[in-house]
Amino acid sequence: MNPPETATAATESELDPKLAEREAIKDINSDYATKFGFNDPETGYVYKAPKGLSRKLVEDISEYKDEPQWMREFRLKALDHFLSRPVPQWGADLNQIDFDDIHYFVRASEKAEHSWDDVPDDIKNTFDKLGIPEAERDFLAGVGAQYESEVVYHQVNEKLEAQGVQFMDMDTALREHEDVIREHFATVIPENDNMLAALNSAVWSGGSFVYVPKGVKVDMPLQAYFRINTENMGQFERTLIIADEDSDVHYIEGCTAPVYSTDSLHSAVVELIARPGARIRYTTVQNWSQNVFNLVTKRATAAERATVEWVDCNLGSKVTMKYPSIYLLGEEAHGEILSIAFAGEGQHQDAGGKIIHAAPKTTSSIFAKSISKDGGRSTYRGLLEVAKGAEQVRSKVVCDALLLDEQSRSDTYPTIRIDESDANVGHEASVSKIGEEQLFYLQSHGLDEEEASKMIVNGFIEPVVKELPMEYAVELNRLIELQMEGSIG
Amino acid sequence: MSTHTVCKSEELPEGEKRIVEVDGAKIGVFNAGGELYAIEDRCSHDDGPLAEGNFDPAACTVECPRHGSMFDLSSGRPKTLPAFAPVETYEVSVVDGEIKLEVD
Repeated sequence: MNPPETATAATESELDPKLAEREAIKDINSDYATKFGFNDPETGYVYKAPKGLSRKLVEDISEYKDEPQWMREFRLKALDHFLSRPVPQWGADLNQIDFDDIHYFVRASEKAEHSWDDVPDDIKNTFDKLGIPEAERDFLAGVGAQYESEVVYHQVNEKLEAQGVQFMDMDTALREHEDVIREHFATVIPENDNMLAALNSAVWSGGSFVYVPKGVKVDMPLQAYFRINTENMGQFERTLIIADEDSDVHYIEGCTAPVYSTDSLHSAVVELIARPGARIRYTTVQNWSQNVFNLVTKRATAAERATVEWVDCNLGSKVTMKYPSIYLLGEEAHGEILSIAFAGEGQHQDAGGKIIHAAPKTTSSIFAKSISKDGGRSTYRGLLEVAKGAEQVRSKVVCDALLLDEQSRSDTYPTIRIDESDANVGHEASVSKIGEEQLFYLQSHGLDEEEASKMIVNGFIEPVVKELPMEYAVELNRLIELQMEGSIG
Repeated sequence: MSTHTVCKSEELPEGEKRIVEVDGAKIGVFNAGGELYAIEDRCSHDDGPLAEGNFDPAACTVECPRHGSMFDLSSGRPKTLPAFAPVETYEVSVVDGEIKLEVD
């Protein structure tokens, strides 16, 4: 008897990898609007603040969350900083943001649940469609899911909990570990570090708090997923990760939003503290819809022998300005920044990284890759600093840009400041186009022009993609292929 | 080492600060709970003015008005980023009712 037809098809694709790959690519032909760009009804929302920013709104958020007085004062001080600062006139054009046309706080659900079954149906369906519960079952050690302003689901596996690993949303952390939060909050990124950090500090909500005790190695990654659903939304999460001595943790964040004709704003603050001998890897796959301004401040400190790695992939958003930084404060600390930016039509990816060598025998590398097509603009903006007293430093900065057509643009602004004579610093930069010769060579081997272009792009970003966990590397390749669809001809 | 007069001690009560210029360099003098402290008026992050920032006598800190680094007044060390290098501190004392500053 013949097996059912579907079973036959599955077997064929399993046997033929090329067929399987084609099926996978076919599957991603659906555009962003279908896959990530859907939106859900707002029925059941608990609270939606009217548009606009005011002292009363900040006080209301604090009161709503029943925060201690010091946090309320912190928010109000940050608001004053934000209001007194001009919009930055360097980098991307931020003058187009209407700060009065944003909902600064939207609560979709009463509290962060520990079981997906308790999450309201519409929200649960969204995360089901995005594959989060499935990923949690398969390869994650813990998951936080933020929907609008607050975290709606949070869970960490029992083994890690037993080892003393803390992984919770920031609002809960402030309630349950107020002393720890007060001691470390805003010590890496003060509330008036810059205008957007000040805005985040005034209206922050959600985000993750992670503490990994001494010597504990978290084998599987922790993940946070951020979803904006409503129109004209501002999402301002706040994340703090403390890796105690000789511990090891990998944290991954992803994000998407519906496609709207009006703009939304995402402005996060992320602080990492790696104590002696610890290692933190922080991976971002940023895939906001192209109506989101993504203006994020990320900074880490690394004590002696500690390692911090930022793996930063920027595919979505209208405008991104983000320069993850690492302060190497202790001897033999190590920092790495791997950055990919993909700028398509109407997008400006202004990304890069900063490494500050503030102690002797510290080492670092920055690898930044950008791809621009259909008039998109990508910018590398970076800083490498070797401070006085930081002897025997070694560092390498490589920034490569790939332009896929005549209309696209790439800019590179690398700053290097060295105050010690024995520093060993290398800097390479390149800008290239997809060459006729490369295309001709691949086409002569049977690929069509689009496949050949995809292959060249995949080869270009491969050094960064290979650093991602397999599941994310596959997803990133798919997303880039999706962005590449129809880019030729 | 040279000694400079800042002001009469009653002119700098608890919780107050004063910025003085010595040989072209600006120095902030602070009275935190009756203890006197002096640090250079320059943030080690980007060389901007420091002493005009928020002074917290209880915590014995001053906060850089430009990017928010918090400096400990007794040691000159930053307690928060983006500054990571300490700033200069100076000996300060009261002699015959006047606040005196020792500068190298």
